[in-house]
Amino acid sequence: MALRDAEPAIRPGETLRSIGERVGEIALVHPSGKRWWIAFAGAGLLVGLFALTLGYLLYEGVGIWGNNNAVVWALDIASYDWWIGVACGSLLVSGILLLLEAEWRGAVNRIAETVALLATAAAGLYPIIHLGRPWFFYWNLPYPNTFDLWPQFRSPLLWDAIDIVSFLVVAVSLWYIGLLPDIAALRDRAHAEATRQAEEVAPTRTKARLRAQTYGVLASGWRGSAAHWQIWGQAYRIVALLGVLLVVSVQTGASVMLAGSVMPGWHGTLMPVSFLIHAVLSGVGVTAAILVLVRGVYRLDAVITGRHLDALARLLLCLGCASAYCYAAEIFDTLLAGDAAGRAVLLRRMAGGHALAFWVAVLGLVLPPQLFWSARLRRSPPALAAAGILVAAGAYADHVMILVVTLTQDFLPSSRLPYGVDIWGIATFVGSLGLFLALVLLFIRYLPSVSITQVRRLVPPEESRQALPPGGGRAGAPSPDGAPLWGVAAAFGSEAELAAALQALTPSRGRIRLDGYGPVPMPRTLRALGLEGRSILPYALAGSLAGGAGFYGLCLYATAYDYVFLIGGRPRFSWPSFVVPSVSFAMLTGCLAVHAALLWLNRLPRLNHPAFNIPDFLRATDDRFFLAAELQGDGAEVLRIERRLTALPVGGGRPVALARIPR
Amino acid sequence: MKGTADDRPSRPAPAQLFSPGADAIYRLVLMTAAACLVALPVLGAGIVRSNYVTGVGVAPSQPVPFSHKHHSGELGIDCRYCHTGVEKTASAGIPPTHTCMTCHSQIWTGSDMLKPVRESYEQDKPLVWRRLNKLPGYVYFNHSVHVTKGVGCSTCHGDVTSMQMTYRANAFEMSFCLDCHRAPEKYLRTPAEVWNMEWAPPSDQATLGPQLVARYHVRGGERLTECGICHR
Repeated sequence: MALRDAEPAIRPGETLRSIGERVGEIALVHPSGKRWWIAFAGAGLLVGLFALTLGYLLYEGVGIWGNNNAVVWALDIASYDWWIGVACGSLLVSGILLLLEAEWRGAVNRIAETVALLATAAAGLYPIIHLGRPWFFYWNLPYPNTFDLWPQFRSPLLWDAIDIVSFLVVAVSLWYIGLLPDIAALRDRAHAEATRQAEEVAPTRTKARLRAQTYGVLASGWRGSAAHWQIWGQAYRIVALLGVLLVVSVQTGASVMLAGSVMPGWHGTLMPVSFLIHAVLSGVGVTAAILVLVRGVYRLDAVITGRHLDALARLLLCLGCASAYCYAAEIFDTLLAGDAAGRAVLLRRMAGGHALAFWVAVLGLVLPPQLFWSARLRRSPPALAAAGILVAAGAYADHVMILVVTLTQDFLPSSRLPYGVDIWGIATFVGSLGLFLALVLLFIRYLPSVSITQVRRLVPPEESRQALPPGGGRAGAPSPDGAPLWGVAAAFGSEAELAAALQALTPSRGRIRLDGYGPVPMPRTLRALGLEGRSILPYALAGSLAGGAGFYGLCLYATAYDYVFLIGGRPRFSWPSFVVPSVSFAMLTGCLAVHAALLWLNRLPRLNHPAFNIPDFLRATDDRFFLAAELQGDGAEVLRIERRLTALPVGGGRPVALARIPR
Repeated sequence: MKGTADDRPSRPAPAQLFSPGADAIYRLVLMTAAACLVALPVLGAGIVRSNYVTGVGVAPSQPVPFSHKHHSGELGIDCRYCHTGVEKTASAGIPPTHTCMTCHSQIWTGSDMLKPVRESYEQDKPLVWRRLNKLPGYVYFNHSVHVTKGVGCSTCHGDVTSMQMTYRANAFEMSFCLDCHRAPEKYLRTPAEVWNMEWAPPSDQATLGPQLVARYHVRGGERLTECGICHR
């Protein structure tokens, strides 16, 4: 396919260092600060509107939305479904790109993961605030309570509560794990800057140091060791897999919640699929719009290339066609085999009082992606951003249509009361949009909006041109000032040289502990260290299975034994309804297990470490590879290691620098 | 750095960003946060159930320091002498001042302690007692059905005859009601025992209980745990 042999996903001539500079500069130096402040002030005003609306809502009650009639779910739930759809869509795209190892994903992943996280944050408030008594939201969760009751585990409302908690944990995890090495890169850049300012006794030196330490705490002492990278890569992929599974569970759960009622128009068998497709479509749309924005404002076209725009445009096109299929199939199916009530709902959607929603949905979801049959438009940033925003608007209208049209006319003629979109409903949504935008702005202000690590993997390896003269190594005392030695460190210009040096040292390493550090994942170093076999899959699997089985057991205990509450003729042991929340909960505990394994196996957090004493070690997150030989006994082996390293051929493991590291 | 062949001059290692002690603090903070995640809900649950919040065992001051222990325990006045509605109506009833004056117009007529009672009688203004046992408005509790079906006073109100100043014996949380509604046979008494404030389940409650359930026509389990039994 053309996509495969398209231009490289990075501008030619970029190096490890230039990528770190280009992306890190946004967070540390922050160009175009004035425009950022103007945008942030605008978003801040909307957050103020949100706070005002929520205050009025808590004071007055959900009646302010105008849906205290049979239309119990209107803009509130449409907004919630839309936000969680955007979150699911972007998480799914990010997760699938990661699992498929699409090499160009680096420029897209981070923004997609951020959209997923922040959209979840915006969505997460809705299920709480749409309750009549929001302060009792926790009544929906299973906890030991003084009522002696359990929530109804057979209800999709409970599934939804578990889903959103799990989704929040998975979205935070995917985002943070992906970010971890990048935060370390920022930490080291900030540290270098703080050191420079301290030497110059600059007035802002305390602030610079504080900033470096803040990034340092967030990075949890990441050192970029080969073993760190190994576990990190596995953790990232496993959380992505858990996220992809959870997305399917969440979106189909949302549609089953509708199907669980008796309302007309909510029982199409294609509905879970169309929910998922529209979620992914809106997620890709929002991600594309923000990607274009970041690319334009910060001139990141070196790392977010035309190829990325092209890939997103193609994705939109495919999903737009899938959406068209869903609408056509639903209409065809209803007309061919639907009952009278279903046909009436279809007619009301197209020509009833809320027909605007239907036409915005169809025109917004299906038409804009069709632009991208044109190769020229696929590479046009404005076209991509506009189409992205239009499909997102279409997805919102789709949710409004599905909920409101059905609810305004159910089977009880007495409850057919009119519903009109209310100013407070719009204000709440606009406020949540402000919250999302404010968080997005904070993110691009303080964190790398493009994955430094993933983009760096695209840089072709380069051989270092210089090396130490042969026969280096100095006799005499191991340490000049008599301080105890931690080990010997050597610096290299590429991973290949580091791996070659490690291979040369390995046969005679004895009790010396060898490790390699670098700014990108280092599979060859890992092989040289003999660590390839390690896997955190068992931890993730055990965590998921224990969580899933535990939750399933809880459902069974509560429903079939402790609190037998027969409702709707459902059997005491209604096992299928417990599967959905158990799967969601399994994703949550699997994620927590991955975190625990990531920290434990890497012996993190470790803010202070002898490796940080290696001269120039700040470049381990930039463009340099380091070897550290940790001595166990006296320093007698120092000389042997140094001689061995300097005797290696240039380009075949001879280091560019050597140093003895105090403990 | 002993030797370097790089084009850029090698910088000396900058001081570490964090002192060795920072790790201990960071890990302590992480573990404290994790512990709080568990401990705070447990603490919250504990506070909600504590007597401080539920008021169990706390005797508030009343307009007159009326002693159930003296009147009912020592003098042996029957519950129903004052709480007249308990067998016939939803509310057991708080006695009017006239009930007090049936005796206190004859005895202790000059007592300072009883001055508010006499004033209430003279001015025809009821005494305002501090209420102890409250139920939310959406709970429809009926004294008569409980008392006539063998639920004794002390099951809910405790041994009132031992209370010098009256206090709340049980927090009337939903779990308290459900304990009995789910297994009434553990709590039901013979009609004669209903007024016994020192009642404890007799040794044959296991056989007696189900017989009482049948005799009183109590339908436990499926019927008594329906939402609409208490909430309408």
